[in-house]
Amino acid sequence: MTHLPGIKLVGVGKTYGDHAALSSLDLTVARGEVVALVGPNGAGKSTTLRILAGAIQPTSGMAWIAGHDVLLEPLAAREHLGYLPQRLGVPLTTVVGDLAALLSRARGLPVDAGARALAEAHLGNRLGATLGEISGGQRQRVMLVLATLGAVEVLLLDEPGISLDTDGAEEVRDAIAAARFDGASVLFASHHLSDVARLADRIAVMVEGQIVACGSVEELARRAGVRWDERIAEPPVEQIYRILIQGGGRPVTAPIRLVSA
Amino acid sequence: MTLTAMIRFEWAAARRGRVVLFFAAGFALASVGVALAGLAAGGVIAVQGFARTSVSLLQLVLWTVPLLALLLGAIHGAECYELEFLAALPMRRSDLIVSRWAAWSLALGMALVGGFGAAGMVIAIFAGAADALQYLALVGIALLLLSAGLAIGLWIGVAGRTRARSIGMAVVVWFVLAVGADLTAIVVLAVLPAGGATWNLAALLLANPVDSARALGLGVFSADVLAGPTGASLRHLLGGWGAIPLGVSLIAWTAGPLRMASKHLQSKDL
Repeated sequence: MTHLPGIKLVGVGKTYGDHAALSSLDLTVARGEVVALVGPNGAGKSTTLRILAGAIQPTSGMAWIAGHDVLLEPLAAREHLGYLPQRLGVPLTTVVGDLAALLSRARGLPVDAGARALAEAHLGNRLGATLGEISGGQRQRVMLVLATLGAVEVLLLDEPGISLDTDGAEEVRDAIAAARFDGASVLFASHHLSDVARLADRIAVMVEGQIVACGSVEELARRAGVRWDERIAEPPVEQIYRILIQGGGRPVTAPIRLVSA
Repeated sequence: MTLTAMIRFEWAAARRGRVVLFFAAGFALASVGVALAGLAAGGVIAVQGFARTSVSLLQLVLWTVPLLALLLGAIHGAECYELEFLAALPMRRSDLIVSRWAAWSLALGMALVGGFGAAGMVIAIFAGAADALQYLALVGIALLLLSAGLAIGLWIGVAGRTRARSIGMAVVVWFVLAVGADLTAIVVLAVLPAGGATWNLAALLLANPVDSARALGLGVFSADVLAGPTGASLRHLLGGWGAIPLGVSLIAWTAGPLRMASKHLQSKDL
């Protein structure tokens, strides 16, 4: 690994006709850092992740993965990238074992590495099934295991907790924590604010294609004018989020809201 | 990641598809049916030999192989836009296209060889092995046409983006290649003065993989006089029936569309 940030976006924009899905986005995710993208539907979270994954091209600006320009050096940028898209991203007729073998080869691992990782996640009995034959939750777990297979330096997760039960959600949290422990840069989009507060070092709040606020929960709370007693209460992330979204990220100076005793 | 890994992945998917079995069974039945029907029309119940069966099967190959290949190619080309997970792996977009073409060419090619092979066994047992080389040449031409059809279909699919639109476009292209080009040749002959259409007609032949395969087949079967005005023009220009330009045309109809499909997919958002 190098000293370069795992993820860097400078002035990234994306337009579809007259509609700006992203406007001059700047964001850096350091090695071993977890950043969450939150915001209402259509805020540009998935667009940001898809640009980094190389699925779509930015209209303006530049993006780097592990120091490699995603447009000019796409293969090097994706060499150590793990990506879990919101959509499945492979045909439903794909056999789980075949996909595991492909990911193993793609990561330069022994061909059975993916199958062993799935077995460790108690999904070994699904290797012969197609993705269309297993439940939505199992499918998401299979894709998560394969996205994080091998030495992933940058992990992009788009709504990773979608359609997962409690155990599955715990696996997502474990995967993010493990990636951070291994020094990977993690950028994930989520609507589960409690997970976001627990997992992310920083939270980027997006509204209409722009990051309107970015920082730790404490920094965002200050910006939103929200205070809480850290000794006895969880951070009121829902309240912070709503204030920031409604105010377009503008700092709130008064009144200070006191949450909990 | 190597292209080989992607081809293995696509091959695993292609060989599991039922379409391959249908393709093999369809061609086996059609071949045996043609071998029997040729003489049955004359009131004789017997299996006709390889030479007659090959000529009879050529038209079937010219209609069905491009149609199936164009449709399958179009469906799998359009599906490339749904492969976001795979596209995030360290590979070029062109690898997606080439691996799909290679895997399906291999799977359908094996089905075609299997189907024709099974029928060939029946013919060899009941009618003898004379002119078996002509039958093998027919299989070779079918494989070239299959390869070109898949490549063109993938290009159509990538350009069409959605499955429904791509299938519609593939059917139109098939109609143009299988029927429309002949109608154009007739119009060219009617409009241009006698002898003035030689180059145009020869170009029309080489610009159409189905017509190229037809002329190649009829040339191999020494029936090139049946190749029509376009084939006659090519023969007039080259002094022979033009096996090399026809073969090169079919190979170019594989390489060109694959390149165009790759370039198109490279420049588009998934």
